[in-house]
Amino acid sequence: MRIDQRLRRRWPWAALALFAVVPLAMPEGFYLDLLMFTFMYAAMAVGWDIMGGYAGYVSLGHVGFFGLGSYAAALLLVHLGLPVFMTAPLVGLMASLLGAGLGFISLRTRGPAFVIVTLTFTYVAQLLMLDLKSVTGGSQGIFLPLLDLPANLVIVPFYYAMLALLVIAILVSIAIRRSKFGLGLIAIREDEGKAEASGVNTSLYKILAFAISVWFAGTAGALHAQYLNYVDPDLAFELIITLNLIIMSLFGSRGIVWGPVLGAFVIYPLSAYLIFLLPSRLAGQLHLVALGVVLVLVVMFLPDGVLRTYMAWRKKGPKDYGSVEAQASMAEAPG
Amino acid sequence: MRPGLLAQSLVLGILTGGMYALMAAGLTLIFGVMRVINIAHAAMIVMGAYLSLTLFLHLGVDPLLSMLLLIPLFFGLGALVQWGIVNRLAERDITLTVLMTFGFAIILEGLQGAIWTSSYQGIKTAYSLESFQLFTLYVPVVRLIAAAVSLFLLAGLYALLTFTMLGRAIRATIQNRTSAQLVGVNVRLVTTISFAIGIAVAGATGPLLGMLFTFYPATHWLWIGKLLAIVVLGGLGSLRGAFVAAMLLGIAEQVTSVTIALDWAPMIFYVFLFGVLVVRPQGLFGVVERQSL
Repeated sequence: MRIDQRLRRRWPWAALALFAVVPLAMPEGFYLDLLMFTFMYAAMAVGWDIMGGYAGYVSLGHVGFFGLGSYAAALLLVHLGLPVFMTAPLVGLMASLLGAGLGFISLRTRGPAFVIVTLTFTYVAQLLMLDLKSVTGGSQGIFLPLLDLPANLVIVPFYYAMLALLVIAILVSIAIRRSKFGLGLIAIREDEGKAEASGVNTSLYKILAFAISVWFAGTAGALHAQYLNYVDPDLAFELIITLNLIIMSLFGSRGIVWGPVLGAFVIYPLSAYLIFLLPSRLAGQLHLVALGVVLVLVVMFLPDGVLRTYMAWRKKGPKDYGSVEAQASMAEAPG
Repeated sequence: MRPGLLAQSLVLGILTGGMYALMAAGLTLIFGVMRVINIAHAAMIVMGAYLSLTLFLHLGVDPLLSMLLLIPLFFGLGALVQWGIVNRLAERDITLTVLMTFGFAIILEGLQGAIWTSSYQGIKTAYSLESFQLFTLYVPVVRLIAAAVSLFLLAGLYALLTFTMLGRAIRATIQNRTSAQLVGVNVRLVTTISFAIGIAVAGATGPLLGMLFTFYPATHWLWIGKLLAIVVLGGLGSLRGAFVAAMLLGIAEQVTSVTIALDWAPMIFYVFLFGVLVVRPQGLFGVVERQSL
């Protein structure tokens, strides 16, 4: 048990050290690309889970922030010459501000408004980028100047940036989980009425959680635009990105720091491998079907996710990962 | 703006609005009884369009006739899916149920792409391009047919909900599930039937959509956006609200496309959607959601 706990504390650092030296061993190629995208999805999924897992409000619109982040970074680079690696965190902040605005519209009440607003926000964002032709180039998209690096090394800075984004996501998620703010969010998930009655400012908490949640999508979108050196309305707003985040969080376990990380590290490589396996003519279509089937199956048979199910099965995880009942009783404590 | 042009966009708006109302009716009915937003609703409508197109191309079945086949087919499928899958989950967790319908939408989109490819389609019948003059107004025949069929089906739905015992049970379940159960309504069965009716209506709208608009597998995302705007503006769960909102937005869309630009017409839906959520979250005809469900 003690060794187990010590392992639990140390393995993230070991993994981080390992990931940090991977590019030195193989600075190019398929696996670096795979890892980079896994980090990107993991970071966004951890961000998604701050809203979807802790507060229990499912966002269907994270790709809207991802896409707007791509566009904002592209425009800042093309018009003002600001490098994306510098602007990405600020672009994330813009996404957060926008998220707070959307939250103000949809989170003051309970019920389905949040799902509707986040889903439609994606179309609004896409439509704006398509129709504001003088700024965004419409369906032509925007080309970003290439980074001044040899072609085989160009992925390395993105690899480290996405790794850093993932580390930030995990640290933020842990900090929230251990704070009174996080406890308030979990109280909202378990019983919003009681949370409000016991003094949690539910609207403010939810809006703040959503703003933090979308920062990662906006920042990742900015980096992704520079990685592709191109952005257009179809690429930037692919709903499959939101779908991936949801599947990763649900599969790994919602509301647990490491759940979405585990989900991303399992789902993304499998998903990439699947595209590789499928006949190329139908790959895109069948990939969609497969992801949809996975979502439905997870929702039906594994709604608590792998980690929580495993913890429940072991029945002696640390307090932090306790059962829903334990969390609910914890949630009622502050007030 | 010339008055003639305004009158013309009013006519087109009302005719299109009738079809929007039928599309939204199923969505708002399902929300009413289950409190679940069926994100796959538009994907099911597009599925209806594809099936109707296939029947038309290979067997020469008129799209309007194919509705007679699609309605029972979609009713049966809807009942099966609701009873077998959705019901079990909806009683546990509404959020997960919404995610499940999101999954259904993705599956349908992928299947449509795999079967019919991603290229643009449209159902082009012999009367597709016909139109007639009414005074100075131009009236496309297919739009008139679509509006008439929609109004006919909506009237049927209205009669079913108003004058039959089943309709009373459905309305009671929408108003208060627990009380309905207390007075002897079999709410589980009523929920399944309502869901199936909603899906059947979606299937019936498919051929109309296919005749009026081009479609491809991913179009359902555009449609679900429009439909959500309609049902939220009308008040979630309110059929009357959905009808009024559909007409309003159908007209607003046409007016926008002639006064501003065709590109911006879809945006009018989202302007209304976000606006109504800020000003009046329960919509035009909605009731304020009770805080404990």
